[in-house]
Amino acid sequence: MTVKWLMHFQPNQGTTLTSQVMAEACAVAESFPGVSRDGRWRSAMTFYRAVPRDQSLPAPSDLPRDLIGISLHDLPNEYLFVMRSQRLILRAHSSVQTVMDKLQSYKGRFFINFEGLQYKWGDFKLRIGKCLYNPNEALRGIVMEVEYLPLSSMDKSQRVMEEFYEIWREAVASKLLAGQFINTEVNFVEYGLGDSYTPQHTAVLYGMCVVQVIASSNKNQ
Amino acid sequence: MEPQQLAGSGDAPPKQVAQAMDRLGRAARLIAEIRLGADRILEALLVSNENPRLSEKAAELTLGEEDAMRRHFLDLRTVGKQLEDSGVLSGALRSRGNSWGLHMPLVCPDGAVVAYAWKRQLAGQAGASAVDRARLALKAFSDQKRRFFPQLEDDQLNRSNNDTIKFPPTKRPRLSHRPTQSPNIDSTEQKPMLADILKSIQTEAPGVTISTCQRLEWSKRAESLASTMNDSSLEQPKEQILSNLSGSFNEVAVIELVASGVFRVLVSLHPAGSTDPDAVAFFSPNEGGSYLHSRGMSVHHVFKHVTEYADKALQYFQSSDPNKALSHLLSWICSHQSLFTKNCSKCSKLLAMDKSLALLLPPVHRPYLLNSKDHDQDFATAYHIGCSSYDV
Repeated sequence: MTVKWLMHFQPNQGTTLTSQVMAEACAVAESFPGVSRDGRWRSAMTFYRAVPRDQSLPAPSDLPRDLIGISLHDLPNEYLFVMRSQRLILRAHSSVQTVMDKLQSYKGRFFINFEGLQYKWGDFKLRIGKCLYNPNEALRGIVMEVEYLPLSSMDKSQRVMEEFYEIWREAVASKLLAGQFINTEVNFVEYGLGDSYTPQHTAVLYGMCVVQVIASSNKNQ
Repeated sequence: MEPQQLAGSGDAPPKQVAQAMDRLGRAARLIAEIRLGADRILEALLVSNENPRLSEKAAELTLGEEDAMRRHFLDLRTVGKQLEDSGVLSGALRSRGNSWGLHMPLVCPDGAVVAYAWKRQLAGQAGASAVDRARLALKAFSDQKRRFFPQLEDDQLNRSNNDTIKFPPTKRPRLSHRPTQSPNIDSTEQKPMLADILKSIQTEAPGVTISTCQRLEWSKRAESLASTMNDSSLEQPKEQILSNLSGSFNEVAVIELVASGVFRVLVSLHPAGSTDPDAVAFFSPNEGGSYLHSRGMSVHHVFKHVTEYADKALQYFQSSDPNKALSHLLSWICSHQSLFTKNCSKCSKLLAMDKSLALLLPPVHRPYLLNSKDHDQDFATAYHIGCSSYDV
């Protein structure tokens, strides 16, 4: 799988996030020469909470209370689970969601959708999207996923992605958007993930990014 | 001239196929006539050069031939238009529903004419026909060249007057005017063995895995790479070491160099088992499939540009130091391990926007000029396309 970085938009102190920012960010992407629009993308995240079977007994301590489930836009047949407390990731077939619904051992508490536009720029793919809180479609944040197609090694692509991030930040700053994009930093080693990029890396990135997005949106409300 | 047959699209497919085959035959004959005409014109020029008394007669002959050639070209254009309209050159009619299961004959890019498209699938036909065709074309051109331009004769070719020509061992560009290096092989300098070259490159660049195989083995391996890449749940398997350092290198035709996470490069040798490289191509380590070969092209822009530049480097190494072309080429390839980490030597950045290509690329041009002391060449500099001041 090819390397991806994930950034979220941090609005300036005192400003609120609006859909206008999404349009402005897309305009920045489209201002680079050679960029072409490549359709739309959509991912979905579910926050599960454990449902204790027997209310009187204390919950077993080794079972996670919270679970994040992610369906990624580029892997429609799969579903990934992230247990942040245990630093575990599980990759399953997408039909596991039906199993979860039937088992009722974990119930979806709230849902976040990511949707937006996708761009191709030479060997890079950019995805800019809104982070929408289901069901009332409230805008929680804006994320951008950057993918560098020729490489799968995190280590070897580090410098390329850093320089791209700098170029992107400069462009955003020059277009005077009311905020900046912050990269999601993750210690993949803690999750047992290696140098070769996999969907598990993406799942962890989204898990961390959403936490930061929610924290920043709560702060600004 | 045969009467023009009007082929309506209302004709039954078998008739259309027959007409197409007929037209292809006519086209081939016209092409042969044109080639003969060119021969005659060249001969007339030669005769008039050697024998000034006959120059008037030669001039008449030339004019006559010119008329004939012009007519042939016009006929060829007509036939070509008919073939194009009937879909032979583009295969457009293959998807027609009422074709009775027959397809128009297809002229493939390598010149092979296939009466039925499915026949193309038969093993070996495509490759064999391309090689034969190339061999015959080379023979025809070499004969013509030898006859009319003997002053350009390559010293290594057989000068005897028999008609059969030795297939030249390598393709060498005609840069015979370099003052320092002569294209003739210096008989006092021994050509290094393939095994030694590979061993020394391996020590020079320990980060690169080098393996060798025969041409057919490589096409199987390329296909298997495609299926490995599709199964993204597995960690990348360790590269299979196909090199047989102890075994014989007589059949080796493909050298594969892999720098983990950076590139996969394929170099082909011609003839097999020699130390003469004839093509090179760079790919991403996560690419796989039948297009992965030394004359193929990566799907990624960065590797496409490096491959184009590598072609120039290869030609330069072949012309300036044919004995050591492979060593220089492999050293130069290994210097690309820092393709995604080394900044441009001019602008000191890694990524730069190339305005004309509208792409963000790392420095893909690594100068390959050899200095006169040809050892300790480290090919250490790298430039963006726009920063590169070389015009080689």
